[in-house]
Amino acid sequence: MSEPVAVRFAPGDRVRTRAVDPDRHTRLPAYARGRTGRVLAVTGSWPLADDVARRRAEPRVEPVYTVVFAARDLWGEGEHDVTLDLWQSYLERPEGTGDGPGPYGRKKEAVS
Amino acid sequence: MSGEHTSSAVAARVRRLEERLIGEGLVTDGELDAVLTAVLEGASPLNGARVVARAWSDAGFRERLLADANAALPEVGLSMAGGLQEQRLKVVANTAGHHNVLVCTLCSCYPVALLGPSPSWYKSEAYRSRVVREPRAVLAEFGLELPDGQEITVWDSSAESRYMVLPRRPAGTGDLTEEQLAELVTREGLIGTAAL
Amino acid sequence: MSRVNDVGGQTGFGPVVVEEDEPVFHADWEARVYALNIALVRRGVYTLDEFRDAIERMPPQAYLAASYYERWLHAIEVLTAERGDAERGGDE
Repeated sequence: MSEPVAVRFAPGDRVRTRAVDPDRHTRLPAYARGRTGRVLAVTGSWPLADDVARRRAEPRVEPVYTVVFAARDLWGEGEHDVTLDLWQSYLERPEGTGDGPGPYGRKKEAVS
Repeated sequence: MSGEHTSSAVAARVRRLEERLIGEGLVTDGELDAVLTAVLEGASPLNGARVVARAWSDAGFRERLLADANAALPEVGLSMAGGLQEQRLKVVANTAGHHNVLVCTLCSCYPVALLGPSPSWYKSEAYRSRVVREPRAVLAEFGLELPDGQEITVWDSSAESRYMVLPRRPAGTGDLTEEQLAELVTREGLIGTAAL
Repeated sequence: MSRVNDVGGQTGFGPVVVEEDEPVFHADWEARVYALNIALVRRGVYTLDEFRDAIERMPPQAYLAASYYERWLHAIEVLTAERGDAERGGDE
């Protein structure tokens, strides 16, 4: 297995899921692709399921985050929240928030 | 529904598979029996109920459980390491203003060590598709009408964490022992589709 | 290109049907399939991620027509057959 990659996000960080659309095994559900949420917790580092399912000899080991999404940001309506546990490579910083270190180094978020 | 004929055809298919895998040396009869015994005797919602009863009775345990469930479980003689690999457990507490409910939209992830094998409805497309989209309507079908304004979080297990709901302690149970409290806890209460 | 298992937010599956006093397994073969899967993962014959992948690779019509443990049975058959093919391929 590969060396774990460094933790990039911290609780409270806003993150955007990648809008990828692979036809292979992945653990980022279609309903949460290209959506913005907030990191609730860093749960530890785990082999990337996408790599393990494809029998890669050296699966990437990445931090996995619990990310919370507002229903409105997923479905356009609703008052509830939905959480997902997402590997780091599923996530990026939302545009306009820079790439500074969390949790205190975040820049102001762009108003969209 | 599958009839007797279909069912016996599947059973025959399973026997052929089992014979082939035993023949190839990939499993033994003894291993299969041991797995089943462990599941049927060891994994059941009684485990989750014991955890909840302790959390209701002992504020310190409740705090430790919510902070780091894996570290707290051994206090009640349980662990998340008994399965295929140690999983992270996160216990989420219901409060007067906040309700939690569990799902796995991609497959059927479930805290088997604490709740036993999951019920069919939990694994159904109907539940998996709808509870992330319209939890209030789904919970109402279970007979759980949440008051307006109550916040709901739906926990979709998509990686190596498993979740369990810590239900609210029913009113009027101040005199009960931990064993009696455990008897009040239902599997649906631990998933979040029922209140207690 | 989401797969058939990726149902979160889809419509049309109807109400959630709860079976009262449901047994852990509905037939002995379901218990055997359950045990086979755990034993094979423990032995390292395949991983749970490969197992999930094998279920997701089912044609959507077959996935939706199959019961829960029929999907498991299919995945175990596929993965152990693919393993056999790989070993035979390696001898060439």
